[in-house]
Amino acid sequence: MIQLKTMLNCIDNSGAAVVECAKVMKMHRGAKIGDRIIVVVQKQRNFTDTGKGTSVGTSAANKVRRGDVRHAVVVRTAKKYQRPDGSVVKFDDNACVLINKAGEPIGTRLNGVVGVELRKMKWSKILSLAPMHL
Amino acid sequence: MTPTTPSLRPLSCCKALLRQTGLQKPAARSMTTYFNKPQAAFHKKLMRQEEPRKVIKVIAPPPSTRKVYKEPLKDVTEAQLAILDPTGSRTNLFSKTNTDAAKVGDILLVRLKNGDPFAGVCINIRRRGIDTGILLRNELTRVGVEMWFKIYSPNVEGVEVVQRKEKRARRARLTYMRKPKHDIGSVQNIVLAYQKSRGAIRGRADDGPVGHENKGGKRKVKGKK
Repeated sequence: MIQLKTMLNCIDNSGAAVVECAKVMKMHRGAKIGDRIIVVVQKQRNFTDTGKGTSVGTSAANKVRRGDVRHAVVVRTAKKYQRPDGSVVKFDDNACVLINKAGEPIGTRLNGVVGVELRKMKWSKILSLAPMHL
Repeated sequence: MTPTTPSLRPLSCCKALLRQTGLQKPAARSMTTYFNKPQAAFHKKLMRQEEPRKVIKVIAPPPSTRKVYKEPLKDVTEAQLAILDPTGSRTNLFSKTNTDAAKVGDILLVRLKNGDPFAGVCINIRRRGIDTGILLRNELTRVGVEMWFKIYSPNVEGVEVVQRKEKRARRARLTYMRKPKHDIGSVQNIVLAYQKSRGAIRGRADDGPVGHENKGGKRKVKGKK
C-alpha cells in the first residue's frame, strides 16, 4: 500500500538508495506490487561502495541523482498481499525498481527478492533480473 | 318527616329514582320478539346437522431443515475435508491432540504445486476449520518475508516439519520474532541440512538419484551462521 510520501528502498543499481513516492499511476490511493509510481530520489547510493555478496555497484552511465523524478515499479510491500489460492505474502520493507517512461528498468542488476505478482502485471524484464522471486 | 338540614348530597334523590328504574330492567329482559318458523333450507343451514363436514385441505409443513442439520457449519467442514484431506493426515499434522503435531515455533517446509517451496518458522496457526492457515517467517536475500498458507489448499502439496522447537513456545502467536533480537533470520541452512539427511536416507533405501530433492537454494551455503 504505497502512497504519497511513502519511502521505498530502491533495489537496483541505478544510483538511488531511498526514494519517496510522489504519485500512484492508478485511480487507487495505494499502490500494490506491480503498480507503477512516480518517485523522487531522496538518497543516493554510495558509488564507491563495493559490498560483498548481494549489493551491486552503480555504472557511471545511468547515475540517478538526489532530487530526480523518475517512474518506478513497486516490487515489495510491507502490506499483506493476497494471492488467488488463499496464501498471503508480506515483506518486511517496501521496495521498488526505477524504470523509464517506456517501462524498461534503468538499472542493469537487481538486488533482493521481488514479488511474483510482477509476472501477472507484465513486468517480465524485472522479474528475470531478480535474483529471487516469491 | 322532620325537616332535615340541607343535604350535603345534592344527587341523593337520583339514587331512589334509579332504583325504581332498575326494577324495570327484568321486565325489559323478558321482552321477546315473535318467533317465525324458518324455511326448510334455511333451517338446515341454521342447524347444520345434516350437511357433511367440509374438509379443509391442510398442507403438511415442509420438512424442517433445522432438525435435520443441527450443526450446518460442522457438516460443511466435514464434507469439504472429505475432498481436500481424505486421509486426514493434514488435519493430524496440526491437530491439538496429536503429540507429534507441528506446533508454533517449529520450522516447516511447504511444498506447492505451482511455485517454489517455502520454508520458515511457524509463528501463528489460525484455526478456522477448513480455512485453517499457518504463518511462516523466513529471510530471503536479507529481507524478512512472511507467508500465510491455507493448509487444506489444493495448491499445498505437502507440509513437512524440518525442525521442532525443543521447548514448547510460551505463546500461541510468536510475533515477537519480527524484532531483530528474536529474529531467527534465514532458515535456509536448517532446511538444506534436513533435505540432505532426508536425501541420504532416501538414497540408502531406494538406491535412486540423490539430490533431486535439493531444490531449496539457488546459491551455495557459505557457512553463514
